[in-house]
Amino acid sequence: MRTLGWLYMAAIFVFIFLPVVVLVLFSFQDSRLPVPPFDGPTLKWYAQVLADRGMMEALRNSLVVAVVSSAVALLLGFFAAQGLARVRLPGSALMRGLLIAPMTVSYLIIALGLLTVFNNLGFRPSLWATGIGHVVISLPLCFAILFAAMGDHQKNAERAARDLGASDLQVLFLVTAPMLKPALLAAFFLSVTFSWDEFIIAFLLTRFDVTLPVEIWSMLRSGLSPATNAIGSLVFLVSIVILILLELTVFRKSKT
Amino acid sequence: MTANVSLQALSHNFGEFQALDDINLEFAAGEFVVLLGPSGCGKSTLLFILGGFLTPTEGQVWIGGQDMSRVAAKDRPTTTMFQDYALFPHMTLRDNVGFGLRMRGQGKAKRNAKADEMLDLVGLLDKAGRKPHELSGGQRQRVALARALAVEPEVLLLDEPLGALDLKLRRQMQEELKIIQRKVGTTFVHVTHDQEEAMAIADRIAVMNAGKVEHAGSPEEVYLRPKTLFSANFMGDLNILPEAQVGRAAGAGMVYAARPENIGLAGEISLGDARLTEASFFGTYHRCHFQSVEQGGQTYIAHLPIGALPQQGEALPLFASSPMTLKADV
Amino acid sequence: MTMEQQERRRSFSFAVPALIWTCAFFVVPFLVMLVLSLAHLEGRQIVQDYDLGNYVKIFTEPSLFKGIMVSLEITITVTILSVLLAWPLAWIIATQVPERYQRLAIMLAVLPFWTSYVVRSYAWALVLGQNGVLMQGLIAIGILDEPVQIMATRAATVIGFVHFFVMLLTLTIYSNLIQLSPNYARAAADLGASGWNTFRLVILPLTLPGIMTGAFLTFVLCIGDYITPQILGGNNELSMPQLIMLQLGRRGDFPMASALSVVLMVIVTLAYAASARWLKMERV
Repeated sequence: MRTLGWLYMAAIFVFIFLPVVVLVLFSFQDSRLPVPPFDGPTLKWYAQVLADRGMMEALRNSLVVAVVSSAVALLLGFFAAQGLARVRLPGSALMRGLLIAPMTVSYLIIALGLLTVFNNLGFRPSLWATGIGHVVISLPLCFAILFAAMGDHQKNAERAARDLGASDLQVLFLVTAPMLKPALLAAFFLSVTFSWDEFIIAFLLTRFDVTLPVEIWSMLRSGLSPATNAIGSLVFLVSIVILILLELTVFRKSKT
Repeated sequence: MTANVSLQALSHNFGEFQALDDINLEFAAGEFVVLLGPSGCGKSTLLFILGGFLTPTEGQVWIGGQDMSRVAAKDRPTTTMFQDYALFPHMTLRDNVGFGLRMRGQGKAKRNAKADEMLDLVGLLDKAGRKPHELSGGQRQRVALARALAVEPEVLLLDEPLGALDLKLRRQMQEELKIIQRKVGTTFVHVTHDQEEAMAIADRIAVMNAGKVEHAGSPEEVYLRPKTLFSANFMGDLNILPEAQVGRAAGAGMVYAARPENIGLAGEISLGDARLTEASFFGTYHRCHFQSVEQGGQTYIAHLPIGALPQQGEALPLFASSPMTLKADV
Repeated sequence: MTMEQQERRRSFSFAVPALIWTCAFFVVPFLVMLVLSLAHLEGRQIVQDYDLGNYVKIFTEPSLFKGIMVSLEITITVTILSVLLAWPLAWIIATQVPERYQRLAIMLAVLPFWTSYVVRSYAWALVLGQNGVLMQGLIAIGILDEPVQIMATRAATVIGFVHFFVMLLTLTIYSNLIQLSPNYARAAADLGASGWNTFRLVILPLTLPGIMTGAFLTFVLCIGDYITPQILGGNNELSMPQLIMLQLGRRGDFPMASALSVVLMVIVTLAYAASARWLKMERV
């Protein structure tokens, strides 16, 4: 039974890692097609991708959109969670539902809705439009994480601070935010990854200043190439490094 | 259904840590046994070994004259009432209580009848169709008891079942447990760290410390004639008596001690003059702290009868009676 | 005004910006789409004659109706397969792997999450292609004589989806499993349950919240995804998102795209209603 379990786990792990391994391995392929037999290694595709100005610009666009939209979503979500967690308002369940609703809707529909409205208003597709869309998808995430993290423990500390003469904003930034630091960081970085990786909203709402997933998408249309493997591997590498740093700093501390 | 239990040379290690060290205990059939000790003393480990959730590193468990050391939990004539009750939240009380009978292949009508009978025993028959989350803590505890008893075990194991209840409810449940145990006659092995609880319900108490049994006996024996300083201390307040005052040596590794109710203004052993430093009223006695006049570091706790309270700061001769001779801690 | 009312007013004012944002960029666009779905495209012009024509067309024209069926079939297959594959993995990690390695095991199990979504589908295209790693490998060890067509079929779409959602479900089921007291399994065994009965009657029902939360997310994300079917499934059969993109791209038919989106929303809402009693969305 025990061996069977380990075998099963090994099989699933092979399945889970197969595409990643293939992706990374053939980014070092020497010839022009990323399929067996492997004839590398070479770093020339990485050099090519890093020298590609369109790609680097897309990378920069993606980073800006991810950071800015996540910061806005975090701020909005934090205030909303604070407002709705502190006092039971009439209709607060409805407001919670409304704030969380975009989580259950396909990004394609959110993108299409925004595109329709922006078209009617004459607001051109741009990085700004994409950023607005990304706040719509990150806000429920931030709100849900922060709302769940606000407990009675929090409320009593806030009451104590107000009792000692702190204003609302002082309470928020001197007591609540530091107490919620792990949740705030988790919400922020999760939003960054969602926005960073989001394709369909960026695809429909940008025209020239595209983000990285859209740039990669247009690369795919010209067929298989080790250059695509290279940029995919780079994105993966960066994500893993950030993940490990987070794990070693923020979440290690918050556990103890 | 009831059976005697015999633990022979039982030891258990978790890696390097020795949780149980050479335990030898005999419980008679139908006894209400309490394993008493501070957290980490090995009492829950011992209970889990009895229940079949852990295999002992060494030694044997005999239940009803059969070696059960290597028998799985589901095949043992024991059931356990868990600390968190482990009631199945998706089942009604009736289905919870009838679960064991269902596993034994009993038909629905028969097991529901038995489940209702058990729920009636614990006073919850009117809630048989409810789910566990609709109950209070005390009620859940009763359902767990009913579920464990429904399969008519020979030995029932209770892992700190009253720990989560408030004090008043706990005292009430202690009495109920005792009444139910008398009614069903099953051997109960009950784990707790609360010595008052142990005194209130046990026929026999086994005081445990650091993986060993310090003393096993009736509540009276364990309280009045403890064998070791540890178990005497654990069972209640204790005064260490200087050998010089008692007038003879206690022996190597032994000390003299007396309970607060055996310290007073008269008695066979003179403790010299002592000054009252603090007193509080406990309804049936005054609990008094005394400091010896001659040896300043020596203090005593005495329970003085109502009306016999000296003035605060007053020095007067103090006496001890029926001292105990105890094995000191190593 | 009482103290409580003041407190409420102040509290509510904190939530206002987020509520405005959600209304302006989520609720309003959806309402606009809802209205637009009742209009028509004639030539290149949107005609504002409101009727249910688009919806009638969706359910009568085979090429459109088939999209709904294709999407539902793929999504249901993917959801079931993912649950079946993920549950044992989550269980093995929660019960067989030593506690201090569990976090590592879970992090490994979801590591490919951190590749870009587009790239992940592309990587599966590399694996599953005619001269890809899988076919060449199977031919090399003699299982196949010649490559089998998987790419650009529904099988490829399903494989790509299952890969992603096994990771997601492993997470939700694992976090459900480790919250369960080990005493549940002990109590069941103690009362005489066999391993199978303990699983069937106690552990499985207790993991239903984790399963249903993960399955609902799988359903929502899967049925609304454009990338995976587009890259892996090709254009032989089109899913709903592919149809929506087709209306937009080729013909600029916003009304029909909106109508298809509304239908998609209705399907998701029905799925939510079916699984709502097990979901704890706020705790995801």
